Amino acid sequence: MERLRIRKVAVLGAGVMGAQIAAHCANADLPVVLFDLPSGEGDRNATVLRALEGLKRLDPAPLAESQRLGWIQPANYDDDLEALRECDLVIEAIAERLDWKQSLYERVAPFLAEGVTLASNTSGLSITALAQALPEAVRRNFCGIHFFNPPRYLPLVELVPHAGSDAARLDALEGWLTTRLGKSVIRAKDTPNFIANRVGVFSILAVMHHTQRLGLGFDEVDALTGPRIGRPKSATYRTADVVGLDTLAHVIGTMQTTLPEDPWHGVFRVPQWLESLIRQGALGQKSGAGVYRKEKGNILVLDLSAGTYRPAQGEVAPEVEEILALRDVRERFARLRASGHPQAQFLWALFRDVFHYCAFHLATIADSARDVDLAMRWGFGWAMGPFETWQAAGWRDIARSIEEDRAAGLTLANVPLPAWVEGLEGTHSAKGSWSAARSTWVGRSSLAVYRRQLYPDRVLGERFDDPGETLWENEGVRLWRRPDQDQGVGIVSVRTRHHTLGAAVIEGILEAVARAERELDALVLWHEAPFALGADLKQVLEAAQAGRFDQLETMVERFQQASMRLKHAEIPVVAAIEGMALGGGCEFALHAAHRVFALESYVGLVEVGVGLIPAGGGCKELAIQAHRMARRTAGGDVFAFIQPMFEQVAKAKVSRSALEAQAIGYGRVGDDVVMHPKELLYVAIRRARSLAEAGYRPPLPEREVVVAGRNGIATCEMMLVNMREGGFISEHDYRVGKGVATALCGGEVESGARVPVEWLLAVERREFMALLRTPQTLERIAHTLATGKPLRN
Amino acid sequence: MSKRGQDAYVVAAVRTPVGRKGGMLRHVRPDDMLAHVLRAVTEKVPSLDLAEIGDVITGCAMPEAEQGMNVARIGLLLAGFPVQVPGVTINRFCASGLQAVADAAARIRLGEADVMIAAGTESMSVMPQIMGNKVSLNPKVVESDENRAIAYGMGLTAEVVARKYGVSREDQDAFALESHRKAVAAIDAGYFRDEIAPLMVRTHLPGAEGTVAVRESMAEIDEGPRRDTSPERLASLKPVFAARGSVTAGNSSQMSDGAGAVLLMSEAALERYGVRPIARVVSYAVVGVPPEVMGIGPVEAIPRALQRAGLKQDDLDWIELNEAFAAQSLAVMRTLGLDPAKVNPLGGAIALGHPLGATGAIRTATLMAAMQRDPKVRYGMVTMCIGTGMGAAGIFERV
Repeated sequence: MERLRIRKVAVLGAGVMGAQIAAHCANADLPVVLFDLPSGEGDRNATVLRALEGLKRLDPAPLAESQRLGWIQPANYDDDLEALRECDLVIEAIAERLDWKQSLYERVAPFLAEGVTLASNTSGLSITALAQALPEAVRRNFCGIHFFNPPRYLPLVELVPHAGSDAARLDALEGWLTTRLGKSVIRAKDTPNFIANRVGVFSILAVMHHTQRLGLGFDEVDALTGPRIGRPKSATYRTADVVGLDTLAHVIGTMQTTLPEDPWHGVFRVPQWLESLIRQGALGQKSGAGVYRKEKGNILVLDLSAGTYRPAQGEVAPEVEEILALRDVRERFARLRASGHPQAQFLWALFRDVFHYCAFHLATIADSARDVDLAMRWGFGWAMGPFETWQAAGWRDIARSIEEDRAAGLTLANVPLPAWVEGLEGTHSAKGSWSAARSTWVGRSSLAVYRRQLYPDRVLGERFDDPGETLWENEGVRLWRRPDQDQGVGIVSVRTRHHTLGAAVIEGILEAVARAERELDALVLWHEAPFALGADLKQVLEAAQAGRFDQLETMVERFQQASMRLKHAEIPVVAAIEGMALGGGCEFALHAAHRVFALESYVGLVEVGVGLIPAGGGCKELAIQAHRMARRTAGGDVFAFIQPMFEQVAKAKVSRSALEAQAIGYGRVGDDVVMHPKELLYVAIRRARSLAEAGYRPPLPEREVVVAGRNGIATCEMMLVNMREGGFISEHDYRVGKGVATALCGGEVESGARVPVEWLLAVERREFMALLRTPQTLERIAHTLATGKPLRN
Repeated sequence: MSKRGQDAYVVAAVRTPVGRKGGMLRHVRPDDMLAHVLRAVTEKVPSLDLAEIGDVITGCAMPEAEQGMNVARIGLLLAGFPVQVPGVTINRFCASGLQAVADAAARIRLGEADVMIAAGTESMSVMPQIMGNKVSLNPKVVESDENRAIAYGMGLTAEVVARKYGVSREDQDAFALESHRKAVAAIDAGYFRDEIAPLMVRTHLPGAEGTVAVRESMAEIDEGPRRDTSPERLASLKPVFAARGSVTAGNSSQMSDGAGAVLLMSEAALERYGVRPIARVVSYAVVGVPPEVMGIGPVEAIPRALQRAGLKQDDLDWIELNEAFAAQSLAVMRTLGLDPAKVNPLGGAIALGHPLGATGAIRTATLMAAMQRDPKVRYGMVTMCIGTGMGAAGIFERV
C-alpha cells in the first residue's frame, strides 16, 4: 500500500479546539491553513487572526515555540477555499451542530484534493450521520478524529470510523496520529460521545448526583475526587469551571437527546443549581465566577444550602483519609463501602456507579475494556481506568456489592450487570483485555507503529514488557540492553527518585561509559520521565553542613569528569530526554554526542534557584558554544553570545518544549524531537546505532576557548546592578549572578583571552564551591529540600 | 581687553518627522536621514555656495554601525555637498545635537567660519540594543561604590530622581498624558509643518515573480503621539526599572528615529547672501551632575546659560525641555520653578519621541519655527539631561 502522505493540513473552525489543533500541527512541523467565517468589516480573516492572537495567551501554551504561529495561515470560507486543494488532511472543528457541519462539508467538498482525509473533531455527534453529506469518494476517507483539550498535552485521540470508512486509511491514520502528532489513539465505536466523554461525563453526573444526595460541599468533593483517588488536581468542579459550565450543560444535553434508551437516562440532566448559575452568567473561569469565584486573592466556593459563596476549604475527614491511605486496594474499597461517613459513602457510590455503567455499556462503546481504561487515562488524566480499578479492588467482591446495592435500590439504574461479569476474574489478563462485544480476549494492536513503543502504557493485569538484559548495575544506575532491538547499544538508566544525580549515579555513569567503550557500540541515556531533576541536593547539604568541603569539591570534580566522559567517550552517547531535565540533568544532556528529545521536554540550568551555579560542565559547555558561534562572526565578539546565556542561566529559564530547548542552546541543530514520548527509546537506540555505523569519532577537546573575560563579567554585572538597585533581586542573587557571569566568561582574565577547557572547569568549580560556603545558599538548599520551592533570600 | 567676537545666527532649521523605533523610518538609514536634512536645510537658502560651509558638525549618541564611520562626512557626501566640505561627528549622548549647534556657533564666533551646519541623526531602530552594538563595561565601574552609578540604566536614574524629588506616579502619568495631548493638538494645528522636511521612504521588499518591489510612502508627521492614550491606560502600565517604582514605558520618552539640521551664519555671511536670520545664538552651558541623578542635569545647566546670557528665567518665552522621563522633567521644573505654560507647548519626547543624538537639532528646529510663527517669543531655550550625569542648555534670541 502506498504510504499516507500528509504534507499540509487544513483545520475548519478557529474555536478553542480548532486553533489549538492547528497549533499542534505546527508543532509537528506541518503547515496549516486555519479557516473560519469571513468578517464583515476590516480584515476578512479577523476571526482567525483573533484566534491566533489568543493562542499566545493560552496557558499551558498550545505552541511549542512561539514562532510556529507563522506556520498557521489564516483563511476564510468565502475567499480561500482554493487553498484546500493543497491539503492532504482536513479536520473540521466547528460548533457541535449536525446541520452546520453537514452544510460546511457540502460547501468544501468540491475543493477537496483527491484522496484527502476528511475528519471531524466532533466530541460526540454521529460520524455515520455526518458522512451522509459527503460524496462517495470523500466518504470512504472520512472519520472522526477526536482530540481532547488541551490537544497538545492530553495524549488521547479517539479515531472513530463509520461503516464505510476505508480500513487501510484508518490504520495509516492511526500510525500518523501516533508518530507524527504524538497522540495516543483509541479506536472508538460510533456511539454518542464515543468512549472517554461517555464515561467521563457520566462520572461527573454521578459526582453531582451524590454530592447533592449526601449534602457535601463542592470543595469537599473536589478534595475527594482529585489526586486522592488518582484524578487530576482540578478534580470535578474546578474542572467544570475551567471547561465552562455552559459547555458542560451542552454535553449533558447531548447525552439526554442522543441516549434516550440508556438506563441511566434519568441522571442525564442539568441540576437546578447549575442551570441557575448559567442563567446568572456564572459560566466558570471565563466569566470570573462559576462553582468557584476568586475575590481579593481568596478562593470562594458556592454553598448550595446558603445560596452564597463562602471561603473554600475542602477538607477530607481523618477517618476517610485513613481509608484512602490503605495500601491494600481491596481493603480500601471494602472499608469505603462499610463506612458510615458521608465522604466514604460518596466515594463508594461514585466508583460503584461508574463500574456499573462501564460494565453495562462496554459491549456497545468500545472494543475492549483496555480501550476504556486507556481512554480515561489519556483523555481525562485518571491514574487508572475504571476496569483496572475494579479489578484491583477485587472483581468478584465488587460485582457482588454492586448487585447488593442494586437490590437495595441504591444504584443509579436498576439494570443487572452483564452476564460476562460473573464469568471473569477481571477484564485484563495475560491473554489480553476482555471484549464484551466479541466475548473474547483481545490482544494489543498489531499495527507496525506500536513496535516503536518499547514500553507502552500498560493496564493492570496485562503482561509485562521485556525488562531487557542487565549488563551491570549499582545503586545509582543500571546498564542494560534490549537484545531484540540492538545487541550492541547499551542503555543507562538512572534509578534514583526523580532521577536526581548523586555520587552513585555519577560513579555509575563513569563505569557504564567505561564498560560500553569495551563491550558495546553505543550508549543511550534513557529512563522514564523526568530525565533528571538535578543534583542530589540532600547529599550536597549534608556534606556542606558537616563541613566536608573537600569531599564536595571531589564530588563536583567527578561530576565534571562524568560529563566530559559522556562527551568524549569513544562510542556515541545519545541522551533520550523527556520531561524535566534540570540542572545536572541538563548538563549531562548538553554533553551527549546527540540528543533525542520528546516534544514535552523542559530543559534548563536552574541552579541559581538554590544559590548555586551549573558546575557539572554546563557553564563550560555554554562558553564553548559562544566561542564557536563568535568565530563565525565578523568581529569575533564572544560576549554577544554570552549575554543571552547569562540571562537565561541567571534567571533559571526552563524551556517549555524541546523546540524551545534547542532554540536557547540546550540542544543542537540535528538533534531529534520525537512527538510521541513512548517512541523515545526506540528512536534513541536507532540513532545511537546510526552514529556508530557512521564511524563515530569522539570530538577532540577544544585546545583553547576565547572567553569574554573581565569586561564580560563587568557587563553582566551591570545588569545585576540595575536589578539590585531596582529592588528586583537580593544581595545574594547578585552574588550568585556574578558567579554565573564569572563561570560563563571564563574568570577574571582579559576579554578575548584564550583558555584551555580545564581552566573553564576549574572556574565553574571554584565559583560553585565559594557559593556553597555561604549561609544563604545553604538556607536555599535546605528550604528547597523541605518545601520543593525556591527561597528568595 | 578682549575683543568681542562676532555673533552666530540661525538662518534655517529643519528636521525629519520622528518615527517610532521599529516604525515608519525603521528601514531608513541614519546616514540617509542626515543627507536628507542637510539637503533640505541648504535648500532654504538657494543662493548659498555650498563650498563655503566651514564644517558639518553632527551629533550622534551611538556613532557606530550604520551611523558610524564618521556619519557626518558620509551624510554630507551623500547629500551631494562639494568634497571640500568637511564633517565631524560628536557625541554628548542626548545633547549631541544641541552641542553641535553650540560648537558650530562657537566656530563662527571665533571667526573660523562664516557658514556652519549643526546636525544630529540617530536611528534607534538599527541599534540592536539600547547601549549600542557591543556593550562592554569597564570592570572598575562595578568594583567601586563611587563609580557604580555609571552602570545605572537611564530608567533607574529616573526612579532615583522620582524618589529623591518626591515625584509621584500620578503626577508622572498626568504629565505624560499632557505631552500627548499637546503634541496631537500641535499636529492638528499644523505647527510642525514648517520645520519638517517630508521624507520619501522607499522600502525594498520581495515582489512578484522574483522582482524587488519598491514601496514608497511619504513620512511627514511625527509617529509618536497617541490620540488614544488615557489616564487609565497609563495607570495600567507596570514599572519596568524598579520593583516598587513609578517609571513606566508610558511616562518615559519613546525610542525613535530621526534627524535634524541647523544652518548658521556669521553677520558677514548674512550680508553676503542677503539672508534674514531667525535667531541669534545667545549662550550655551553644559554641566555635570552625579550619574545616579542624571535627569536633574538641567537644574545646573539652565542657570549657568542664563547667567552667561545675562538673562533672568522670566525672560524666557519658550522652553524645549527634553522629556527623557516625566519624573526628571517635573523635578527640573519644580526645582527651578519653570513656568509649565512655557515648557514644551507642543509636547515633548514622551509623545514626540527622542532619537538621542538628533533631539537637540530637532528641538532647535521646533523652537525656530515657534519664533517665526509667534513674534511674542523673544528668548527661547533648548535643554536636556544627559546620560552619565550632565545637563545642557542653549539660549536663542529671536531677531
